[in-house]
Amino acid sequence: MTRAARMTIALLALVGALIALYLTLFKVGVISELVCDVGSCERVNTSRWATFLGLPVAAWGLATYVMLFVLALVSVQRDALERHIAWALVAVSGWSVLFSAWLTSKELFVIHAICIWCVTSATIMTLIFLASLVELGRARRADRAEHFDAPGAASPAASGTGTMRREPHG
Amino acid sequence: MSQKSARAQRSNVVRTQRAANLKPFYIGLVVVAIIGIALIARTAQHSDASRPTIANVAAAPLKAEGHLLGNPNAPVQILEFADFGCPHCAEFATITEPDVRKRIVDVGLASYRYFDFPLGHFPNSVPASNAAACAGDQKKFWEMHDKLYEGQPDWSDESNPKGVFEAYAKALGLDVRAWDACYDSQKHLPEIEANRQEGVRRAVESTPTFVIGTKKIPGAIPYDMLKAYVDTAAMAAASKPVAKSDSAPVKEAGTKP
Repeated sequence: MTRAARMTIALLALVGALIALYLTLFKVGVISELVCDVGSCERVNTSRWATFLGLPVAAWGLATYVMLFVLALVSVQRDALERHIAWALVAVSGWSVLFSAWLTSKELFVIHAICIWCVTSATIMTLIFLASLVELGRARRADRAEHFDAPGAASPAASGTGTMRREPHG
Repeated sequence: MSQKSARAQRSNVVRTQRAANLKPFYIGLVVVAIIGIALIARTAQHSDASRPTIANVAAAPLKAEGHLLGNPNAPVQILEFADFGCPHCAEFATITEPDVRKRIVDVGLASYRYFDFPLGHFPNSVPASNAAACAGDQKKFWEMHDKLYEGQPDWSDESNPKGVFEAYAKALGLDVRAWDACYDSQKHLPEIEANRQEGVRRAVESTPTFVIGTKKIPGAIPYDMLKAYVDTAAMAAASKPVAKSDSAPVKEAGTKP
């Protein structure tokens, strides 16, 4: 179950990275027009809000998704999700959700146009953040359980906490 | 020792089992990545196919005047169809156009005419054209043109951009009251529409689009490319000295008197 959640994060991050790649290619001129049946993607992506610290926002998004994808893949390899990886997932996706919310508010109230790709990306980021929160909670509970394990105990069964150990196979 | 090796063996088995369990997941990721990249590549190809291409156009007399820069009798005429709200036009106006003016127009190789071609995507394009035309009444169209493109991010998303335009008028030393009266009267709207119609007649589809001699070139082209078209048009003009049909606009309703 836990590993399934981490796999989901990896999959979502991959899809998000592909969307961000598409928008970045448009922004740098490789793709001349966006497929955009709903909203006005080109107006949003050519506005002043489509650039952040001198780089296209889509490129920042691509870098963020790649980072989340790598973190999720690393965590999938492990038996248990280490707390620091869980924190990293929550921090990166949490910051990105706030940034996406700010961008969406600009779309709605300043640019007065919606970019369906941007909204899809914001939704994916929110799902990643929620899944990361769940994972962080699980990692913290598992850490606590390990902490309460008697250090000198011969076996989990002997310590009486065998059922509370971090999940062995995901 | 044997206990250690048994543990290592067990650990190897677990690792192998885990790798086997994850195989479908990795295959799934690869499939998603391949599908995604294929879709992006397909979109890029389609986008290339629908990109307007350089076309041959017959020399046709101008029916709208646009805004002229340089010697109207120069051997070559560059026509630009642009939208003040369009970012690619701003890119051309701020990066390439200063060179075009200095090295082509100022030395008399070509004249340059700017035609408003509001695409309809950007809500403040027509007000910006109006602001520039009103500055033109005080002989400062090009100065306002430059201000509008340099400051495009400052007004393009405003619900009422007049305050920004007015600040430009002040900075340019215009008679702001006269500019203001002109802007509010919207008396230049028919000219702006006539300029747009000139583009429609020439089948302009995107901005910026340039017409140089018998070539219609879409996109914010670099200086070298534009200069090459000017040179080609100059050679053609030199071989046919009578063919000057483009140079003098034919007056029609809605154009400048």
